[in-house]
Amino acid sequence: MSDQQTRPGAPGAEPDLDAMSPQELADYGAELDGVHIVHRRDRFPVPGTRAEKRAERGVAACFVLTFLASVAFIVIYIAVPWQFSITDNSYAWYTPLLGVTMALALAGIGVGAVLWAKWLMPDEEAAQDRHDGFSDEVDTKATSAALVAGLEMTGLGRRSVLKRSLGLGVGALGALAVVPLVGGLIKKPRGELFSTPWKDGVRLVTVDGRPVRPSDMEPGALQTVFPGVPGGIKAPDGATMLIRLRADQKVTHRPGQEDFGWEDYVAYSKICTHAGCPVSLYEQQTGRILCPCHQSQFLVTRDATPVFGPAARPLPALAITVDGDGYFVARGDYREPIGPSFWERP
Amino acid sequence: MAVKTGTPAERAANWTDERLTIAGPIRRQLNKVFPDHWSFMMGEIALYSFIILLLTGTYLTFFFDASMGEVAYNGSYTPLHGIEMSRAYSSTLKLSFDVRGGLVIRQIHHWAALLFVASLTVHMFRVFFTGAFRKPRELNWLVGIGLLTMAIGEGLTGYSLPDDLLSGTGLRIINAIIMSIPVIGTWTAFAVFGGDFPGTEIIGRFYIIHVLLIPGIILALIALHLALVVRQKHTQFPGPGRTERNVVGERVFPIYGAKAGGFFALVFAILALLGGLFQVNPIWLYGPYNPSQVSAGSQPDWYVGFLDGSTRLFPSWEIRLWDHTLSPLVWPAIVMPGILFTLLAMYPFIEARLTGDTARHNLLQRPRDVPVRTALGAMAIGFYLVLWISGGNDVIAAKFDISLNAMTWIGRIGVIVVPPIAYLVAYRICLGLQRHDREVLEHGVETGIIKRLPNGAYIEVHQPLGPVDEHGHGVLQYAATPIPKKLNRVAGASRRVRGFFAPIEEPPPPDELETDTHRELAGRPADPRP
Amino acid sequence: MDDAVDGPGPDEPSTTPEATPKVPDMTEASPPAPKPGRPGPGRPGRRGRLRRRLSSTVALGMTLVVVGIGYAAIAAAATPHRNAQASSQNDPVELRKGRRIYEEGCIACHGANLQGVTDRGPSLLGVGQAAAYFQVVTGRMPAKRQEGQAPRKPPQFNAADAEQVAAYVQSVGGGPEIPQGDLHDGDLAEGGELFRLNCASCHNFAARGGALSAGKSAPSLGDSSDEVIYAAMLSGPQNMPVFSDNQLSPEQKRAIINYVQTLKQTADPGGSGIGRLGPVPEGLVIWVVGIGLTMVAILWIGAKS
Repeated sequence: MSDQQTRPGAPGAEPDLDAMSPQELADYGAELDGVHIVHRRDRFPVPGTRAEKRAERGVAACFVLTFLASVAFIVIYIAVPWQFSITDNSYAWYTPLLGVTMALALAGIGVGAVLWAKWLMPDEEAAQDRHDGFSDEVDTKATSAALVAGLEMTGLGRRSVLKRSLGLGVGALGALAVVPLVGGLIKKPRGELFSTPWKDGVRLVTVDGRPVRPSDMEPGALQTVFPGVPGGIKAPDGATMLIRLRADQKVTHRPGQEDFGWEDYVAYSKICTHAGCPVSLYEQQTGRILCPCHQSQFLVTRDATPVFGPAARPLPALAITVDGDGYFVARGDYREPIGPSFWERP
Repeated sequence: MAVKTGTPAERAANWTDERLTIAGPIRRQLNKVFPDHWSFMMGEIALYSFIILLLTGTYLTFFFDASMGEVAYNGSYTPLHGIEMSRAYSSTLKLSFDVRGGLVIRQIHHWAALLFVASLTVHMFRVFFTGAFRKPRELNWLVGIGLLTMAIGEGLTGYSLPDDLLSGTGLRIINAIIMSIPVIGTWTAFAVFGGDFPGTEIIGRFYIIHVLLIPGIILALIALHLALVVRQKHTQFPGPGRTERNVVGERVFPIYGAKAGGFFALVFAILALLGGLFQVNPIWLYGPYNPSQVSAGSQPDWYVGFLDGSTRLFPSWEIRLWDHTLSPLVWPAIVMPGILFTLLAMYPFIEARLTGDTARHNLLQRPRDVPVRTALGAMAIGFYLVLWISGGNDVIAAKFDISLNAMTWIGRIGVIVVPPIAYLVAYRICLGLQRHDREVLEHGVETGIIKRLPNGAYIEVHQPLGPVDEHGHGVLQYAATPIPKKLNRVAGASRRVRGFFAPIEEPPPPDELETDTHRELAGRPADPRP
Repeated sequence: MDDAVDGPGPDEPSTTPEATPKVPDMTEASPPAPKPGRPGPGRPGRRGRLRRRLSSTVALGMTLVVVGIGYAAIAAAATPHRNAQASSQNDPVELRKGRRIYEEGCIACHGANLQGVTDRGPSLLGVGQAAAYFQVVTGRMPAKRQEGQAPRKPPQFNAADAEQVAAYVQSVGGGPEIPQGDLHDGDLAEGGELFRLNCASCHNFAARGGALSAGKSAPSLGDSSDEVIYAAMLSGPQNMPVFSDNQLSPEQKRAIINYVQTLKQTADPGGSGIGRLGPVPEGLVIWVVGIGLTMVAILWIGAKS
């Protein structure tokens, strides 16, 4: 750091460094760095008073606390039971004890260091000169001249062929650096966003793979079902809500979906059309399907059209029927992309 | 000249200096003066939290496996026994339940992350409201905003690493937000996730971003931030002996260094206390991420909460453009924070342009003396607070028996109505405080002593702060420093030097200074003399 | 948790073996409920009753005695507690008591024949013992007023009364009943998975409750006994969906109950759980405790010395 050094005393007069005490030398050095000691007050000008010993003992006590707490930490770490157990909750002491002893050990050092400064070190105030603003004229002129003259040496200003070819080369080199990185990451979005594992004839299965019969659910029930194909349960876009309506609930279907349900059963994608959370909360009396993430609410009697909150699109409906064995099957994939909207969605 | 004699320390110093010629620069750093106002220490909380994050984070990397490969859990936490989960989740469980002391280190790490962003915010407020960002420190303000955004990103990538149900739900929302970007949204989302959500790449990529890329950027920005402070020297409040051309305070070695080192230990102690006493991010209760599961009351960590709030409040305004869709997510989740952080970053330049102030400033301003800036800051904080609280509106609705739908409407209306009200209230408060300062300068400090005049009127005796003109009004001008409003703060009269827990200096007992002038100054009635 | 056991009221003589209401008692191993109509083993003063019974239904009574004692002997060690079960279902005295309670607290809104009253209360025909027991023992019923959601409140009727009125409702209209036996004897890990799939979205990951739309809420399960949780799943009270036994089998229900109760009993290993509500209280703690303590430290260090 290039602080300018202000030299105290008569110009050219060299102080006798060897004759100065350490404090005088330090203050002289501070002056060289532009730092003036405004005042310094020794807290204990008379050494060995009881007050000083008290202060020293206070600071030392903090460090002793650190020692004791650190030892306690190590003992607790090794000796206190910590393994999780369903039947015995005594493991729950371990982490709090470790945290408290660690905190005490660190606080001892912290408080001790601060008290050392406040109680024992001299009370000192210093003022340092600022040297801000533009550099000296010599520096500004010489540096800009160095840049200009250096540029002149390269001849870039005159040699336009050189400039242009350099620009061309460096530009392409930059692209070379970026292209493999970006190119490796790029994956063309294909049909994944427009299709799910649901197909005509695919059975609705529960999370343990069992197919579903109509008699499995009561009116006012909600069950999460998945496509009964390999990998269907793990697929992130296949989760579907199978809802059995109550006797007093009549669905006004969206155009083109009038026959999507089966008797008093309807099925909707569980992936919210707002930001993709599983919609999940079904209020069987009000018929609202509430998403816990941003509180979009879809009304089942309006074919899962959003009635509150930030979602703009209804939940896609899955056309279902019952196959020959009496199990629910899909009649095809969802007829629109499930989940949140995106640019390419018509 | 080689010196072979002297103490070991002297010999070591000479060995180094002979090779590096470094004695002068070292001394200059030791003698650097830092002003000692308490509000300047808030940036240090952030610095020390970051160091603690590095230390605890390195420990965590020895145990964490950033793989999304599936494995059946076989550790100590019985309620998850045999459940299929990613290795990332399983290794975090193992660290929490099968590594001695692992949980406390993990919790300290998480609390330190929360404290890191909180202290950055508090520090930013201090810099903003005192005008420390003005020329010549605009560059440091930009570095600071960069640090804030990096810290938020670091926290987000960090809490997503365990691949639990809560953070996985957040990742799903992030995926939807990226997809909502027009034209390039789906391509960007597929590039980031390596395909459709969730894919098998994202945790591994977040891991490298979290332990290498962003920490590297943060370290570089911190180095730049501190270097700029050292080069330009710290700002200071106006006061006795403090000018635009100097810095008054304590030298780094030994006094300021002792206090700073002590403060580092205290911050670490507070984080250790939090890490031991308060459970944070209990991933075993959330369960492993599963795209068909979600919990009620799902929120991100606090510093992302304002985006959750804006996303909850923004109406369902989806725009169809011919064959394309502009999702409503893009406005609250990308455009709003983009505008907010751009305004934040550009503020020093905006204010300089609007005020026409192109001078260099090393002295700080009291917030009351710049009422427009203070009111603008209050307005921004009001806006942010409404969004932040709305991010938790379902938890608040459940706990305080408020309708969820009503909370949404309160947020929607609040975000429009609260900021102007905050502006007006803050502005008027600033003006009121300014007026009171000048009133005290003119009329003196209220002593609380009631005097009855010969004509029967009662007046309160005021203690002038300095010389008065022929009308009895003070001639002292306001110098941008705090004005004493109580007698025990007035220099010259006997006063206590305030310590923290107890007064440092008690005033001498009254008998020692028995002059009428003294009693008059102290506002005490004359004792009857014998 | 379970209410205290009440003996029969002062004007209710214990003339039948089933007159002493048996509520789930977790602390002592009491003998299980015998089949309806039969006395439990070892009860004094019941011979006369027994002879009277036998004299009116000879063959059936003999068979039931054999089955009842056999069942009691086999199940005694395995199921130490007895659940809120309609063992009093066919006991006319119990049903009479239940009906009296019904006429005291329920008839105004649900009608004299449980058919419901328009704009006041729905029909109870077919809701079953589980639903009635759930609503009454948690205090939701009798409801104080019409509102979006009848809240849980201090129960007006104790557990014994709840059993009786539930038995009465069951006897009139039928419906699902809470089964016998240990209701939290299920696979813990499977229960967790089922809970997270079916329950956490409304009740939160740790069953601490959550908000529903427009002022309604899914309550915390902190005070819920095994029976109450089972009954709720089975009957789908108010806006909660119905989880019939074909949708969630009794084994699966028991697994879920095991998970919920285990969560409630296990301590938080990381210190205070601060409500088990996720990042919202965590944010509160870091600002109040974290920034608070660091500000105290700052003001102390920065104070003049």
